[in-house]
Amino acid sequence: MLAEIFTPELFASAIRLATPIALAAVGAAICERSGVVNIAMEGLMLIGAFAGTTVALLTGSTWLGVLGAVVASLMFASMHAWASVNLRSDQVISGTAINILALGTTGFLMKTIFGHPGTTDPVKTLAPVFDLPRGDSSALGQLWNWIDTVLLSHTPIVYFGIFASIFLTWALYRTRWGLRLRSLGEHPRAADTVGISVYKGRWFAVLVSGFMSGLAGANLTLEQVGSFTEGMTNGRGFIALAAMIFGRWVPGGGYLASLLFGFADALQLKLQIFSDVIDIPAQFFLMLPYVLTVIVLAGVVGRAVAPAADGKPFEPRG
Amino acid sequence: MPDEAVSAKNPEPPRTPEVIEDRDTARLARVVRVATPFISVAIAVLIGSIVIRLAGASPVQAFSAMFEGAFGGPRQTGETLLKATPLIFTGLAVTYGFRTGLFNIGAEGQLFLGGITAAFVGVQVAALPWAASVPIIIVCAALAGAAWAFIPALMKARIGAHEVITTMMFTYIGRYFVSWIIAGPFKDEGAIPQTPLLPETSQLPRISDVFSFVQPNRAHLGFLLGIVAALLMWWILRSTVLGYEARAVGFNPMAAATAGISVSVTTVKSLCISGALAGLAGAVEVMGVHHRMFDQLSLGLGFTGIAVALLAKTNPLGVIAAALLFGALSAGAGTMQLQAGVSPRVIDIIQGVIIFMVGAEAIVAWAARRITARKGAEHVS
Repeated sequence: MLAEIFTPELFASAIRLATPIALAAVGAAICERSGVVNIAMEGLMLIGAFAGTTVALLTGSTWLGVLGAVVASLMFASMHAWASVNLRSDQVISGTAINILALGTTGFLMKTIFGHPGTTDPVKTLAPVFDLPRGDSSALGQLWNWIDTVLLSHTPIVYFGIFASIFLTWALYRTRWGLRLRSLGEHPRAADTVGISVYKGRWFAVLVSGFMSGLAGANLTLEQVGSFTEGMTNGRGFIALAAMIFGRWVPGGGYLASLLFGFADALQLKLQIFSDVIDIPAQFFLMLPYVLTVIVLAGVVGRAVAPAADGKPFEPRG
Repeated sequence: MPDEAVSAKNPEPPRTPEVIEDRDTARLARVVRVATPFISVAIAVLIGSIVIRLAGASPVQAFSAMFEGAFGGPRQTGETLLKATPLIFTGLAVTYGFRTGLFNIGAEGQLFLGGITAAFVGVQVAALPWAASVPIIIVCAALAGAAWAFIPALMKARIGAHEVITTMMFTYIGRYFVSWIIAGPFKDEGAIPQTPLLPETSQLPRISDVFSFVQPNRAHLGFLLGIVAALLMWWILRSTVLGYEARAVGFNPMAAATAGISVSVTTVKSLCISGALAGLAGAVEVMGVHHRMFDQLSLGLGFTGIAVALLAKTNPLGVIAAALLFGALSAGAGTMQLQAGVSPRVIDIIQGVIIFMVGAEAIVAWAARRITARKGAEHVS
């Protein structure tokens, strides 16, 4: 049975299911490194998922849908940036407001645009990037098939997520922008003194997080599910937060941590198929990613250290 | 987190310009603190109106239908009280957390655990008289809610795991757990996944059944229980060691620790008390309204509790007023949909805006400063 469970498809679906969490986690790492706590990813993702589906349904173009998802998420992320940077709100409260606002807005627009609550009509999803020939039955061909299924069967946003995590990790540690961004999260007063704009830097970081969360929503609806359902993000934004902490506030680390959650999700979906063999109710499988999040946090948090000025509003002098 | 501004009472300070400015700032801070909730609600209603207008309906018609549905008669007012009841408890739950500097975003999950416990214990104590069974059920439901907050509390106290993530995760875990109990071991006969009906001795009777001078409506004794709970919390925070320690840790954990208060013990206590109150919200819904447990017991009562607590500026007595406001919104939403064709989800938007505005106190402060600045300029001229 183990061979039936641990198939190449399981690993492929782990990467797929990890993607929305990973995109949000990578964005969150940038956001928190600039000193802004973002717990609004859940709502941003939901807004992105809804806007993506709606635009795709209305225009018939899935790529325009992706654009719509990003734009809508950026709009809501601007609210968070405005509140936490300019208005110096409590960032956790502002994030909560956006989460609730996203739930209400999507529910309201769902009813207004489609005339009914629940789930939208199906939408055409993005096709996998590569369409490569399968290998033969030789050992080499088998290996190729494995690689093809696990790594080369994915849709564009999945690859973008991998690329973004590598690029942003590099940018954070190897570019002037990265150094400045990190200084905002550690000691904004010092950064301000040497002439770095704390406001601009933090705004940009929040928008990066909004961009990534919007893409996460687009990935959910326009690459995976193919329709929007109210509240469909189901805590992924919060799991992304845990993944970011597990990844020690490094974009690449957040990506790798998300793979763990993706794998747990893929595994529980797979195990549900074997429910007649393994006599455990489905609800316990569904709990798995959330239980894993708690366990991961229990194991790691004490040793991971947040940026020193994370969550603290910056008050300019004068 | 919202906290109280410190009001300084200086005997007779020298009247330098700085002191005058300080006094003005302090007065301004007080005005802002009092005015923020009202301004927030006004702006939220305004944005709600714009949304309704954009959706092609009339905001005036929508809000008057909502008012009609919330206060149009004894039955409607009863509905408002009915909807406000669980919100008093979740609002108090979030408030108690805030006072200790904790954000219990997972009241929803604790509510479900309290609900299923009430449904289970309520059936077990069927042989007891009302006066014995109701207190037993309530205590058990509170313990269940507290238990569901205990692991996140412990994780916060021991290793500093953020309670926003852990209580949220426990909400999902709890909902699946409860959903399993309802569909499996404690399922009522029949196709629908729900628990058996509570015996009458385990129910909270309607207010109008107890007091004959009240016109018939659906509001139940849970509402009065909520008011008692709010008064109790107000007293605990004000006059007991428990409340003092909670406030001290919430105000400045480092100073509290220096003063000999154990921050970790206080954290665990406070989050568990918060969980217990959320558990009570589930209990009153089961005992007073549905008389059984099912999957849709709450569609976000725990999250509305956050809005209630913030709007009340974490004042337990303010929670009653804020809960009544949200209760009225929710009671009127049905009538609004029926008469004006507006989706009831617009109240979620209003709720989100209120949280945003209360959080962004700076907007109100900015407006207030502008007004006082203009007044100051008039004085000079």
